[in-house]
This record gives sequence, C-alpha cells and structure tokens, in this order.
Amino acid sequence: MKTSTTYIHVFLLLILGFNIGYGQGKRKNDANTHAWKYEIEGIGTGVQGSYQVKIWSIGSSQEAVIEQAKKNAVHAIIFKGFPDNNRVKGQKPLATNPNLEQEQLAFFDEFFLNGGKYLKFVSLLANGSILPEDRIKLGKSEYKIGVIVSVNSAELRRDLENAGIIKGLTTGF
Amino acid sequence: MTKLRCLAIILMMPFLSIGQAKKPTLMVVPSDLWCKEYGYLTEFNNQGTKVLIPDYKKALQEDANLILVISKINELMADRGFPLKNLESILKSLENQSAEDALLMSSEGAEINENPIDKLKKVAKADIIIQMTYTIKSVGPKNTVTFNLQGIDSYTNKQIAGSSGTGAPSFTAEIPVLLAEAVVANIDLYNVQLQNHFDDMFENGREVILRVLTWNNWAHNLESEDFGGDMLSNIIENWVHENTVKNRFSTLDATENMMVFEQVRIPLFNEKGQATDTRRWAFNLKKYLMDKFQIESKLMMKGLGQAQLVLGDK
Repeated sequence: MKTSTTYIHVFLLLILGFNIGYGQGKRKNDANTHAWKYEIEGIGTGVQGSYQVKIWSIGSSQEAVIEQAKKNAVHAIIFKGFPDNNRVKGQKPLATNPNLEQEQLAFFDEFFLNGGKYLKFVSLLANGSILPEDRIKLGKSEYKIGVIVSVNSAELRRDLENAGIIKGLTTGF
Repeated sequence: MTKLRCLAIILMMPFLSIGQAKKPTLMVVPSDLWCKEYGYLTEFNNQGTKVLIPDYKKALQEDANLILVISKINELMADRGFPLKNLESILKSLENQSAEDALLMSSEGAEINENPIDKLKKVAKADIIIQMTYTIKSVGPKNTVTFNLQGIDSYTNKQIAGSSGTGAPSFTAEIPVLLAEAVVANIDLYNVQLQNHFDDMFENGREVILRVLTWNNWAHNLESEDFGGDMLSNIIENWVHENTVKNRFSTLDATENMMVFEQVRIPLFNEKGQATDTRRWAFNLKKYLMDKFQIESKLMMKGLGQAQLVLGDK
C-alpha cells in the first residue's frame, strides 16, 4: 500500500515537473512572439507573389524555433521588409504606416495566435530541414536557428487589404 | 424584393461614384535607351535637323522578349487592381482611327475637321508612363539581367516611382526566365513608391502646370490694370492661390505676355464632391475671367497635366 502511494507521488511530481518545464518553454516562446526577436535575410526570388527568406529566431528547442520562425517571417513581411542580400532584391514592408501594429493591436494579436491565420501565408522550404551552420547554441537551453520559409506575400497583402488593415493601390479610386 | 434591391442599387449608382477620384491610367513603354540598344530608333527629319525617335511598332512586332516583359508587368499590375493600357493595342487603334477619320464623310461631302495641333496630339497617352529598360549581359555561358522600371508622371514629367537592380547570374536559366524573374523582383518595390505617390496626391492634390498666354491682337496684356484697378497677373495669381490645395503653387515666370505656374496642386474633387481634372480646373479660371472681367480666352490642354489658357480671343 505504502509502495503504491510512493509511486503515485513520484508520478504526480513527474507530471508537475513536465508541466512546469513545458509552461516555461511556452511562456518563453510567447515572450519571443511579443518581443519579435528575429533577423531576416532574402535568399531568392520565389514563385510569382512569394518571397523566400531565411529567418533567424531564438527558442528553447528546434521545434519551437521552427514554429516561431513562421510567425516571424509573416511579421517581417508585414512590418519590416528585408534588405538586398547580394543579388537578391530586398523588399519594403507591406505596411507603410509605422504605427500600424499598435493601432491594430487586437487584429494582429488574433492573427498571430498559435495556429492563427498567419499560417495560411507561410510554408517551410526543404521540409524545414536545417543546415548544421544554421543552428547555433546560445545557452543551456537556448538556440538560434535559421529556417528557410516561403511567404505568400500576394495573398497576405490581399487578405490585409480586404480586412481594411492596409491600403490597396486602388484605394480612393 | 430582389427587383427592388436591384432598382435601389441602380438608382444609387450616380451617388456611389461621387467621392471616387479619377483612376490614373498606366502604360508600359520601352525607354529610348532600350530602343537604341536593340536598334529600334528611326531617323526623322525635323525641318533640317535629324532627330532619332523610337519605333515602338517595329519593336513590338519583332522583339519577343519585350512582349514578354510588358505582358508580365501588365499581369502583375492587373493583379493589384491596376490593369494597364497596352501600348501595342493603343498604337493599332490610333492607326485605325486615323484611317477611319480620313475616309469619314458626311452626307453632303464634308470631311472631319482636324488641324495640325489635333494631328500632333494623336499619340499614345497615359497618366503614368512606366518606362522600362533591361540589358542582358552574357559572359561565357553566364547570363545576367539588369532591369530598370521608372514611373514618370505625365502631368509633371517627374519620376514618381522606380526600381532597378541586377539579378543573380545564371548558367542554366534562359533569358525569358531571367527577365520574368527580374519583373517579379522589382514590381513590388515599384508599387510601394507608386502607393506613396497616390497617398501624397490624396493629401496634397494632383500636381499640374498652368500657362497663361495672350493673343497678339488683344488690346490688353497681363500687366494691364483695367480690371478693377489691380494688375491682371495679380488677379490670376490670387485665383490660383485660392483654388489650390493648401494654396500650393509656384509662379515660375511672369511677364506682360505670359505666366507659368508650376507645382500647382489641384484638388481631386470639386465642391460638389465630383472627381475633377486639370481641364475642368482650368476651365473654372476661364469662366471666372469671363464672368467677372469679360475676358475671352481659349483653353487648350498640353499633355494631361498642362493647361494653357490664351487670353484675348476664343
């Protein structure tokens, strides 16, 4: 009887420990989402209406970084753009208003929720495989990883225009 | 019920159009540099002076890459809600129109009126000309494409948008593929600047040029003080001041015979909220001078954004 109680206690402790660890990792990832800590570089002209970019993100595990990279890539295309990279042409952000993110906070909070609408506009290239030189260990459980993704900028722009978040070229005409 | 809705929509149509600015027209044209590079310039004798002018018709009939680039730009702009005027179709329709006008005759044998100015004005026009240049460089098996897009505002001749760059060299991709890639890489940057131009236009009005001239048989000139005691040039300047967005304009030149106003920002809508343009705006000045001072004048348009008002006669 005593042995089985001990087993139950150990089991409960293990579940608690896992939840704490998972919660910390998740909180860290959520914090990364709101901090938008990432770097972006253009790597090629994609098919018509899409950009191929490498997103360097920081996270506690490779899986977490890959998911974060998708969010970061869409965020970058909307708000940051990316500079020229050798012969790869840089692009300006879709949003021309630098305060758009703050002005449309509720919209973008929902847009960038885990599993949110942003996923419709981004896809991993090369099945999300990461080159050895694109994986840098920063600390005990912190990685900086470069993930190559393709962002469908034409569809993303159309969606934001239809939602009235950004102005289209024909607005006012 | 559905019929009633349809009827309501039809009745609302005129009101819905109020508040919409006139949509600018865009057209892609190969640059003079491109025409020179690929041998599409023709020599024209302009009263003893040899002038080289681009032969667009020949270029469009002979250069498959040019057609590809123009069609790609058209495709991408149509996707953004801005279908472009097609240079080839416009050139054809101008030719057909001239041929038809030459044959047109009334029942009593009269022909269509066309003075030399009308003939001169029969050219392909658009509010914004997208001037395109590309050069292909081949070093051994390696090809590189340098691409340049310039958006020229026909009203002011200012460059309002642009994007240029050299693509990555390729050993395998064919030239048409590299050209299409160059268009795709450059068009979004070009459109960002075009959007900025439109935003500026909505905020500060459309930029145009106004020239005021006088006929030599007119008894007055622009320095006459026979119109309410003030100099006519001051009266005109005051009118321009009051009828521009944020009173923005600059008087480039003013003599007794002519005045030139540049950077004149005209509103996109009139006081009734209807879309307006340079001709309509300048017509208000013509009407003002006639109603208040009984000055006859002739209003002519030079290009799309330049109004010319000649005082003293119609």
